[in-house]
Amino acid sequence: MEKNPKTIGPKEGFGAGVVALGVLLILMPSIAQQIADLDFVESEAFAILTGSVLVLAIFTIIAGIAIFFTKFEES
Amino acid sequence: MNAQAAPVVKKKVSTRIPITYVVALIPVAVAINYLGSTINGLLFLPLFLDMIGTAVVAIVLGPWWGAVVGALTNIIFAITGGPISLPFAACNVVGALVWGYGVKAGMGKKYWTYFVLALLAALAVTLTAVPIYVFIFGGATGHYADMMTAAFLAMGQNLWVSVFSSNILVSLADKIISSFLALAIIEALPKNLTQNVQLPESTGKMKNLAWIAGGLIIGILVTFLVIYTGK
Repeated sequence: MEKNPKTIGPKEGFGAGVVALGVLLILMPSIAQQIADLDFVESEAFAILTGSVLVLAIFTIIAGIAIFFTKFEES
Repeated sequence: MNAQAAPVVKKKVSTRIPITYVVALIPVAVAINYLGSTINGLLFLPLFLDMIGTAVVAIVLGPWWGAVVGALTNIIFAITGGPISLPFAACNVVGALVWGYGVKAGMGKKYWTYFVLALLAALAVTLTAVPIYVFIFGGATGHYADMMTAAFLAMGQNLWVSVFSSNILVSLADKIISSFLALAIIEALPKNLTQNVQLPESTGKMKNLAWIAGGLIIGILVTFLVIYTGK
């Protein structure tokens, strides 16, 4: 039996969160075009993409700032 | 002879969790979100119920793990149900951050502060959702809340106020119910997973159940208010 199982903590959480934001950023261009193609949506794809990237960028900045204030214990 | 006091050694409790728990909990949380949303759609409820798992993971594992669950949830919604869900991933992420950091700040210690945290989560999610509704979808996405938006517009309110008013009502009901359902789920998790989480002190199973039921009842009452407002 493994005596010291691999553990994760806040540091890995930050990393996973930023990765998730990156995945959303990858998907946003095609999703923006699909949303713009919907009948009831009047917004242009570029506008949808701009707003989405702005929001995700704010989250990324929040993650970066939060890392400065977080104390990570040694694994 | 002076007796020297023995040095007090405080054993530091690690906040690290075995990776197996995380690998198991995240997909389950996403499944809970998906199941909640599906039930909500089948029953035509004026709620969302797509952030219960997000709340569980944000409180137990941390806010950014909750953000991962939120992002994954909306990605899966977008793949299975259409592209409308993906922009609302921002709302799921915001909810996770509020729940996670709120509990870390001590708002999970008592039931009434936990209830206030649920209200804050509702407000934060609404403030994130309203610009998405207005700028991308023109105020409507086909959700029950659109009926209330139309009612507020008919009363002479502008689009922003109408969307905010309808969404905050739905969001309050949804986040109160989601928060207390998440609390019930967390109570059922293994104790070694929740030992570092500051949750309302357990003073007896019946008292815990009473608080959780009370929170759910308040959420249901707000839901009925939402339905009444929409008619």
